[in-house]
Amino acid sequence: MERLNFRGGTALIASTWMSWMQYRSFFFILAFGWMVPPLVSLFVWLAATAGEPIGGYTAGEFVSYYLTLVLVNQITYSQANWTMGDVIREGSLNFWLTKPMPAIWNLISSEAAGKTVTLVFVFPVVVILALFLRPELDSSFLHAVLALTGLALAWALRFLWGYWLALLAFWSSRADALLAVQDALVFVFSGILAPVALLPGNLERLARTLPFHYMVGFPVEILVRGPDTSEIAAGFATQLSWLAVALALSFILWRLGLRRYSAVGG
Amino acid sequence: MHSLRLIAAFIRASAQQDLAYRANFWISLLHSLLNLGVGLLGLQVIFSQVSDLRGWSLNEAKVLLGVFLVASALRSLFIAPSLEALVGLGQEVWSGNFDFTLLKPVPTQFLVTFRQWRLFALVDLGFGMGVLVLAAGETARDASSALVFAGQAASFLAAMTAGLVTLYAILLAFTALVFWSPGYLFTWVFDAIFQLARYPISIYPSWLRYLLTWLVPVGAMVSIPAQILTGKAGLATLAASLLLASGFLVGASALFSRALWRYSSASS
Repeated sequence: MERLNFRGGTALIASTWMSWMQYRSFFFILAFGWMVPPLVSLFVWLAATAGEPIGGYTAGEFVSYYLTLVLVNQITYSQANWTMGDVIREGSLNFWLTKPMPAIWNLISSEAAGKTVTLVFVFPVVVILALFLRPELDSSFLHAVLALTGLALAWALRFLWGYWLALLAFWSSRADALLAVQDALVFVFSGILAPVALLPGNLERLARTLPFHYMVGFPVEILVRGPDTSEIAAGFATQLSWLAVALALSFILWRLGLRRYSAVGG
Repeated sequence: MHSLRLIAAFIRASAQQDLAYRANFWISLLHSLLNLGVGLLGLQVIFSQVSDLRGWSLNEAKVLLGVFLVASALRSLFIAPSLEALVGLGQEVWSGNFDFTLLKPVPTQFLVTFRQWRLFALVDLGFGMGVLVLAAGETARDASSALVFAGQAASFLAAMTAGLVTLYAILLAFTALVFWSPGYLFTWVFDAIFQLARYPISIYPSWLRYLLTWLVPVGAMVSIPAQILTGKAGLATLAASLLLASGFLVGASALFSRALWRYSSASS
């Protein structure tokens, strides 16, 4: 295995961040677009409550659920995977392969840069919304710590899951269609359309089995709902199993793909 | 007559371009089915918890979803691709190729509105119409008499036309703004705001409702036709929406011709 070259990696992160900050208005607009679907869901559920809790969620809890979810969705959404597909298709992967560090550093640097640039915009907006909409949040320190752990794993899962999908571009130039399917599945099953507890029977069971809930909604639920430890443990077990699957697939597909890759000439 | 012949020629040219990429058809079909499925499933989930959303029943919400899908299909049929060719990333205003568009012996606003067609949007239009007709059929069964429903349907067509004119006017205005600030992707901002129109405007807090009615009236252009078809609003609302549409159309056209004066090509 190649050396990981952390110094090169951090230098790449810093330079990517600097260059992206120049285009911050572009990223603010992107971030605005990603914020809208969860906020629309928030207003739908607020209108639906009409004073009575739905499925155990009061109006204030819907607010804290969705405002947290906007942040989590922003942190875990991985635009880098669209880049990966494009890079393979267009052959610019060559430039990444010739650098003296693993190619995935290029993705991680655009992840880190994209995240910080969009959060500069999203965080203040969420704070302002919180001032107006009055969230109710009654969480313990333990739950906050567990939620942060869940968030880190959720990021890793969503990143690697999109990464292995993007690697399919080695075999088919149309693989990015799968990323759009992925976005639709995430919208329905991750907890953006509705907290998964509110999905009708079978859909809820499906949501708790599929990986998508563990990319977004799971850490939000830990923080806002404070479920008991056995439920959290079961959630982490599912999350880690899917993470292992994604890691294995990424590793295998990268190896097989590189062997197939023959670069598009320019 | 001359303009109709021109539009036919634009459609032919766009069709020839699209047919060169036939594999895209299946991908686009997949996107359309996902869009339709997610929209319907979303309503199912909400109405599995409540039977009434600020006065809208499941069926009425489906009428509204149908209107939304039809409006967004017509938008991506020609309005969006045509305007996008003008102000998208690296497009005409950016690159200076707008010089050639300005020189053509056709009114500029006509040309930039109709020249690009994305014929696949007809499939989306079909899906939207399907949702709308099925849900409207349900409404017709509940209507007090056939005559009442016929009246609602006629006002609906007028309101829908007004809504589409408003949609066009807003997009034209957003496009015109690019002449002042070329780097900004106003159409992307609009895309995001347009998503708010998927649901009845009455679910939003009053300040947002106000914005969606008067400043960026996406709420009005989708909610009002649905309200009229389901008998929630009458002729007064229809008159207001017609007035709003003509006001926005005149205003946006004025803004656009003002914007053309600002264009100074691109230096090399």
